[in-house]
Amino acid sequence: MSLLKPFSKLPDLNTANILLVENEEQFQQNLANTLVEETAVTVNVRLAKSLPLPMENDESRPRIDLVVFIINLTSDKSFESAKASLKYLVPGYFLGKVCFMATNARHASVRTGCLDALRQLAVSLHCPLLFAEDQTPEGAASSARRLLTILKVASGLVPNTTALYLSNLTRCTMPPDIDQPSFD
Amino acid sequence: MDNLAKHLLQRLMRRIPASMLQSTLDKWGRLTAEKRKSLDFTQSKLTITQELVALCEESELTVKHITELEMIYVTENPNQGMWHTFQLLDPEDDAHSVELMQFKEQFKSHLSELKRNVSVKIKKHTDEAVWIRVAWGDGLSRPNHLKATYVVHYLQTPYVFVNALSSKNKPLLLQALTLSTKHQQIKAANLSGQKLTALRDLLMRQYQQVFPTKYPSPLPESDQSISKLRIEKVQAEASANRHRMAGETFGDGMLPALQSAFFQLETKFKDPTNEAMTQRDEPFICSVKFSSSNLLESLRHCASSGIASTPVTPLLSSIPLKGRNYFVITNNVPNA
Repeated sequence: MSLLKPFSKLPDLNTANILLVENEEQFQQNLANTLVEETAVTVNVRLAKSLPLPMENDESRPRIDLVVFIINLTSDKSFESAKASLKYLVPGYFLGKVCFMATNARHASVRTGCLDALRQLAVSLHCPLLFAEDQTPEGAASSARRLLTILKVASGLVPNTTALYLSNLTRCTMPPDIDQPSFD
Repeated sequence: MDNLAKHLLQRLMRRIPASMLQSTLDKWGRLTAEKRKSLDFTQSKLTITQELVALCEESELTVKHITELEMIYVTENPNQGMWHTFQLLDPEDDAHSVELMQFKEQFKSHLSELKRNVSVKIKKHTDEAVWIRVAWGDGLSRPNHLKATYVVHYLQTPYVFVNALSSKNKPLLLQALTLSTKHQQIKAANLSGQKLTALRDLLMRQYQQVFPTKYPSPLPESDQSISKLRIEKVQAEASANRHRMAGETFGDGMLPALQSAFFQLETKFKDPTNEAMTQRDEPFICSVKFSSSNLLESLRHCASSGIASTPVTPLLSSIPLKGRNYFVITNNVPNA
C-alpha cells in the first residue's frame, strides 16, 4: 500500500504543495488555476481523482503539505470515494494537514443526512470543513483564498504557527443540539 | 376537392408547426406563387388552414397532391413517431446492381399483387435515401391515407427503417421489400427509436470512429506558461487510458442521438448476501431501460470518468458495435 507521508521528503524554499482530491475532477481545475496565481509563495498543485496515488510518480512528487478532499454533497459516490481515500494517508496528516471542502451544500437534491455524515467524519478526524460555491469564478476565488491561508500555515511559511495550532482553531465541531433531529 | 382531401389537409396542417409552414408549402409547389403570397402567415393556424383549404379547392387539388405535401413534411422532419429497423439477409447475386427504377417497379408490382387497393408513392431524397409512403386499403375499402406507413431504404445497404406499420400489414410489406431488393430473408434488427437520423447514423457508422493507434496523442506543447507547469494531474495516465478506451468503444465528437436502450434479463439472480433469492432455480426476469437525450454520449462519459469500468463491458459496447438497442440476455448466450 502506498501511503502518503507528510514529512518523508525535504521541503523547497518558499514553496507550498497542495493536493486536491475530487472524484468528479471538475472544481479542482478552477481552484488550481486560481491557487497558482499567488505571487508571495510558489504554489504547486497536484490534482487527483482518489488515493492511492500511483507509485510511478512518487519520485517526482514533492512533499504534500495539505490534502483537500472536495466532496460534492449531491453525489453519494463522491463521499464514498473520499472516505475510501482516507485510508491511504498516514495518521500524521490528520494533525492539521487535511481539510474537507463541500460543494453544492444548498442544492435541492442533497440527500438528508449526507451533510451530517460529512460533519461527523470531519469531527472525528479533527479536520476543518469548508463550504465552497463551485459555479462562479468568485466562488473559486474565495475558496482558494481560504485554502491558501491554511496552506501557508501547513507548509510552515507563517512564523510562530504550526498546522496543529491552527487546526485546534479551525476544526469542525458538531453543533450542541446533536441529540435533537436537525432541520433540513 | 372532396371531403377526404379536406380532412387530410386539415389533419396535416395540425401536424405541421407554424414555423415550418411557409417553407413546406414553397417546396410543395402545387400552389402558384401569387396564391402563396396571398396567404398571411401571421394569422392564427386555424385561419391559415381555412384559407389554404379554400385555395386548394380553387386549384382543384386532390388527395394525391395532399399526400405529396405530407410526404414532403415527413421527409424533412423524420425524427417523429417510432421507427423500427429491419435487416435484409441472403442477397442474391444481382442484389448489388438493383437500381432505383427497377426497385420502384418491382416494389409497386409485388405489393399490389399481395394486397389490392394500396397506394404507393416512392421518392428519392437528396441523400440517396429512398422514401416510400404506403397507404393501406383492402379489397373492399379505399386506401386509408390517415394512417400511412413510411419506409426508408438506402439502396445497396441491407437496412430498412419503417414507421407506423400495423402487424396485419407487416408480412406483406416485408415480403415486397425482400423480393424487390433481391434478397431472400428479412429480419428485425432490434434497433428502434424516435430519431431516424440517429438510427441511420448509428447503423451506417456515420460518426467519427476512433481507431487504436500506437501513439495516441501528438507531442506535448513545450511553451506552457509557468503557472500551468505547477499544476499537475497525478493520475493523468489512468485518466487518459479511460478516455482512450471510451473513445474507441463509442466514437469521438458528436454521437448519434440514440435515446433509449432496453435490456431484457432472464438470468439467475446473483447476490451473495441474499440467500432466499439465490436459492431459486428459475431465472430472475427483469427489464432495464436506459433513456437519455443522447444515450451514447452519456455512456461514453460514464466510461471516461470511471463510473463504468473500462474496458467497457460487452453489454454496453454492443450498442454501437452491433447497432442494436434491444437485448435479451440469458445465462448461456449473452446478447441473443
